Formats: sequence, C-alpha cells, structure tokens
Amino acid sequence: MKIENLGTSLTISEIPELTAVNSASFRDQVSAVLPAELGVIEIDLSSTRFVDSSGLGALFALYRATAQRNGVVLRIVNPRPEIRQLLELTQMQQLFEIVQR
Amino acid sequence: MSVPSLQPARPTTLRLAFAPDAPSARAVAEAIRTFLAEQGVPEKELFSYELCIAEASNNAIKYAVGPARELQPVAEALFTPDRIELRMTDHTPGFVLQEKVPQPSVLGDSGRGLFLIQSVMDEVRYLRGAKENILIMRKRRRAHQPPSAARKSDSASGLSLEESHRQLTESKSAHASMAGELSFRSETLSAIFRCCAELGRSDDVAEGFGKRLLVDLFHLTTADWCVLRLLSPDNRTLAVAAASDAELASEAIQLPLAGETPDGIEATVAASLTAARFDLREDSDRAEPLRAVGPEATGLVCPLVFGGKLVGTIAVGRRGGDFPLGKLQDEVVHVFAELLATQTVNLRHHKDEVRRKVVARELEIAQEIQQLLLPRTLPQLEGFGLAGGWQSADEVGGDFYDALAVGEQSLFLMVADVMGKGVPAALFAATMRGLLRGLAARSDDPAEILSGLNRLLYPELSAVNMFITAQVVHVDLATRKITAASAGHPPALYVPPGHHTVVPLPTHGMPIGVMPDTVYRSVTAFLGDPTTLLLHTDGLTDTRNADGRPFGQNRLMGWLSANAIAGHPANELRDRLATELNRFRGTAPMDDDQAFLLLTEASGGAIRSDGSRGPHIQFQRGQFLFPARA
Repeated sequence: MKIENLGTSLTISEIPELTAVNSASFRDQVSAVLPAELGVIEIDLSSTRFVDSSGLGALFALYRATAQRNGVVLRIVNPRPEIRQLLELTQMQQLFEIVQR
Repeated sequence: MSVPSLQPARPTTLRLAFAPDAPSARAVAEAIRTFLAEQGVPEKELFSYELCIAEASNNAIKYAVGPARELQPVAEALFTPDRIELRMTDHTPGFVLQEKVPQPSVLGDSGRGLFLIQSVMDEVRYLRGAKENILIMRKRRRAHQPPSAARKSDSASGLSLEESHRQLTESKSAHASMAGELSFRSETLSAIFRCCAELGRSDDVAEGFGKRLLVDLFHLTTADWCVLRLLSPDNRTLAVAAASDAELASEAIQLPLAGETPDGIEATVAASLTAARFDLREDSDRAEPLRAVGPEATGLVCPLVFGGKLVGTIAVGRRGGDFPLGKLQDEVVHVFAELLATQTVNLRHHKDEVRRKVVARELEIAQEIQQLLLPRTLPQLEGFGLAGGWQSADEVGGDFYDALAVGEQSLFLMVADVMGKGVPAALFAATMRGLLRGLAARSDDPAEILSGLNRLLYPELSAVNMFITAQVVHVDLATRKITAASAGHPPALYVPPGHHTVVPLPTHGMPIGVMPDTVYRSVTAFLGDPTTLLLHTDGLTDTRNADGRPFGQNRLMGWLSANAIAGHPANELRDRLATELNRFRGTAPMDDDQAFLLLTEASGGAIRSDGSRGPHIQFQRGQFLFPARA
C-alpha cells in the first residue's frame, strides 16, 4: 500500500485487497497520516482485486473520521466493475465520489 | 472407441475446514474462487462467490463464543453447471435469518455481510443445529452447453451425431435426476437430524419442534404454506398447533362422529388416516377450511399417526399453481409426519410425567400439613403416661389423634378417621381438630362434643359425601372416671377395676356427617389398675397379614391385656404395639391408616424424655411411630 501526502491531499494506492485481514491496518495507517488541513482524499482502487464488508467498513471509517471537516472530498478512483457494483449496492457512492480515469 | 465425455450433474465439490482467523478465512475464499474458476465459472461471476465466502467466514469467526471459538468453520462449494451452492458451517450461537435482510444504513457500521450475500445469491438459507449451523447460499446459472464432446466424437464409434447427442442428453438428465434425488434425500436426512437435536431443547410440540420441522419441510417440498394440526385431548377436534402464516391459524376443525361425513379435507384425512392431495380450483364451491390459504391452493394433507391412532394432520402446499409433488416430496412429507407423530406422543408422555411429579409434590405438601396436625407434644400428666402412634398407608391419610388437657385434672382424648383420602381428608382432619379444641372448652361431655362436631361439619361433609368416625374420651385423672362417646368408631379398650384383661367401652353412634342432627350418648366407666386405655382407628384391627387374615379386635384385646399387666410405660407400650402390628402384617402391604392413643400408668419415671425429675412424664410425639411408607 502506498500513501502519498501532498499537503492538502492524500492519495492511497496499490491496495491489493481490502478485507478482514487488512482493513484494520488500512484504517490505522491512513488515520495516522491524516493532515489537519485536508482537501481531497483519493483512494485508488486500480490494483485492488477484492473488497469485502470489512473493507467497506474501513472506507466508511475514513468517511467518519473526516465527515466533520468542511470541504473534504472523498474520492474512489478506478474501482473494478465488481467493486463498483459493491459500492453502489451498499450506497457508499453517497459518501464517496467514484471516478474512472 | 471413445466414450463421449459427459458433463457431470453430480456436483463437483470442494470442502475446506479452516482455522478460525482472518488470514485463513481469506485463503479459503481465494481457494474457492480458484476452484470455481477451474470449473469454468467466468471471471465476472467469481467476485460474488468470493465475496459470499468471505462474508460468511468472517461472520463464522466473529460471532463464535466461548470454547466454540477454537472450532474450525467449514466452507464448501458445490458446483454443477446449472447451480453453484456455497455452504459455511459455523459454531456460533446462530441467528435468525430474515427472509430479506434490509439494506443496511449507509451510515451504519455493520450488517452488510448478510445483505451482500442475499443481494448476490438467489437463495440463502440458514439451518440452525445444536452444535453447528449451516449457511447455504445458492445461485442458479444458465445451463451451460456441455463441451463440444459430441462434435468431437469419433465416427468410428458407429454412432451418428444425432444419436450421440441424444444419448448424451439422456445420460445428462439421468445423472441430474440422480444427483437431485441424492441431494434431496441428504437434505431431508440432515433436516431430520437437526429436528432431533432440537427435541431436547423444547417441551412444546407446537412452539419448538413442530415449528422447526415445518420450516424444513416447507423448504424441502418447495411449499409456500403449511399447517400443523394436533388432536385435542378429548379427541373431538383438530386445533392448529403451528402454521406458516398467521391467517392459516383458523379455528379448530370438528372431527366427524361415527356415521357423519367429514367436513373438509383435513377432517377427511383425519377420519380415514389416509393422506390426500387436493386442488381447490377443482371444486370452488365447497366450504373448506383450507380455503383460508387462497382460492387456488394445491397441496397434500397427511395424517400424523402413532400406534394406529390419529395424533394430528399436516397440510403443505402452494397458494396458486401446482404443488410439485413428486414421489420424493410425497415421501418426505410422510417421513416428517411420522416423525412429528412420534415426537408429539413422546412429548405428551413427558408432560404427563411432569404432571405426575406435580401431583406427587402436592401430596407431599398435604402430608406435611397433616404431620403438623398431629399434636407435637402430648399433655404432661401427673401419675399417668400418654403416647400416640400414627402411620399412613397412602401419601396422605385421614386418621389422626389428639389429646387436650382441660384444667389440672382432666383430659380429652380423641382418635378419628376421616373416610376419604388425600388432601380433602387432611383438611377435614385439620378443621375437626380445631373444632374439638373449641368445643372442649365448653363441655366435659364427649357426647355433646360429638353432637357439636356433627352439627358444624355436616354441611361440608355431606356436600362431598364424606364422613368421619371418631371416639372421644374424657378422663378425670383424679377420680379415674372415663366418659366416652363414639361416632361410628371402634370402641376404646380399657382395663376396668379388679380386672386383668381389657374390655371394650360399649359406645355406639352414627359417624359425623351422615345425619344433620345426630344425638350421641356417653357411657362412663372407671380405670382399673394398671391404668390402660387404648383409643384406636380400625386400621389396627383391620391390619392384614400375607394370608389376608385381619389382626382383629380379639387379638388386639389379648395382646393389650398381656402387655398392660406388665405395666409398661406408655412410650414403650406404644412401641411394642407398633412392632406387633408390623410383625403381624409381615410382607403384606399396608392398606389402611393407623392411629392410636395410649393412656397408661406412669411407671417409676423410667421414660423421662425431657430429663426432668418428678412424676411428670412427657411423651414426645416428635417422630412418627411407624416409618412412613416410601
């Protein structure tokens, strides 16, 4: 997993999967680097093969951790179609902006 | 020649038990994905199956408690070209799977797993068992064309392409039906095992076992409604014990009397003990309780029979359209009906057993009441000894005695026998003892006391067809005068002055409770030397030995004469009499209560149970003379 901190934006990428195995560590690693001033958080799922409900839980935790802050954009980038369906099924697209690039 | 390769309809299966931790669960989900990929499941479907296994295994790990957390969950994948079934066996306490798990709130943090599983699979069931539960997740697939085996088939086989194709199709369908039957039977069997496991947990046929069974039956037969009715205790009606829908819990059905025509399908099945299929569309005019299901219901009604007798009925079917009852479904309904009938009867026996225990406990309580009724201590008398003996043939007896000191120098003795057993007899004994105490304060005359008791007790006794025999004796200790009256009771025995043998006091009278205004007469006599007076119930003289011979009054008088002369103190004489009665009875069962009171000389203070000096001898009644029958 790679985390790039560009001041007001945070990009998390190279996540092979987001599951019960690593969702807690994902949450911890990301919250450890959340800057005080925050514009955009991008979670790049290009290389993510699998997400389960624990993974969704980790994404949701990220939403909760930042929801109080004004103007924060949460963005999920390039999810596979199956994962995109999963996000839609669980209405996570209401919390995250989902984009394909 | 080459044999056409067949696409098997029997499922290809992968079964994996795994350590209850997240990495193992993850590895299992991946292994199942790989397995399904090997079966040719396309990439775009694999995600769903991997997800289901991941969610199910996460739950299996997360919700296990106590020692079950060490147990390995088991994941299974069953693949046939037209169906994929995933199973997860967990060791959690289980949960109730809603038919449709609601969409979890997007802001909620949990509850997504089952929702996701239900969203991606066609059918999800959760079978709860005693030690483990199974989550079954099914997905129907478009039947795949078998690999182009026919096309490749060797012309040397001599089979035409069409012929090969036909054979292939036939074989496929034969395999499919065999696999179907096998899986159906195995599901039936596991449903029955689960139900049996359920048995120990519930003692209510309808609420526990029956409902559980119905759920499985329901599913196995692909019915969409079912009703279980059980025969009422009076064998007259069939009442709903469990139903799949509240509106089907209709009124009890009357069973036809001999010669009457049964009213409705269930009543007909119950009356004939023969299962019947039905189709309400065929006869839409007839009044029919099953019409509550819907105007187009179809199905099967099966009798529950145990030992050739009706226990109830079970009806299953569909609301509309044909109820697909093949031989297998038919069979499974019958198997379930048999199991239900057996268990219903078993549970009823169990309930009866509980009821018996309750009755036994009631009797114990009544016996405790009765023991309290017997005087704890008898009056202390200067120069005399007094002892009482009591033994009951049943849990609760109707015999009792009482002794009451009146002033310094006189004494009332009473022995009575309430005709009847059990709690009512004990209650009358209690009442009578209380009344005696009240009446004795107003009169010294036993006849007046008996008349009073009769007057007061007659209304209650006659209302329940019971009566009481009693012997009441007033003893003037100073003058040694005894005054006695009897209400249908065996006479008191005593040694008159100048005699060496006991004689009966010639008292006569009607039992208490027979006539509203019986007048009793007292007789008087004087106590001789040594002082010997015995009041007893007929249980003593009626004691029978193994040959059926009664102890009898003569034997009692002979025994008492012989032992009275020896001048035993009351306690000792009582013990001797008890021993003698038991010796005579031997191994014969005790069939009547026994109660008696003995008044004797105080002899030399030998039995001074309270350790006091002086002439007062207290005869403790503290324990029952005869061991109570087990």
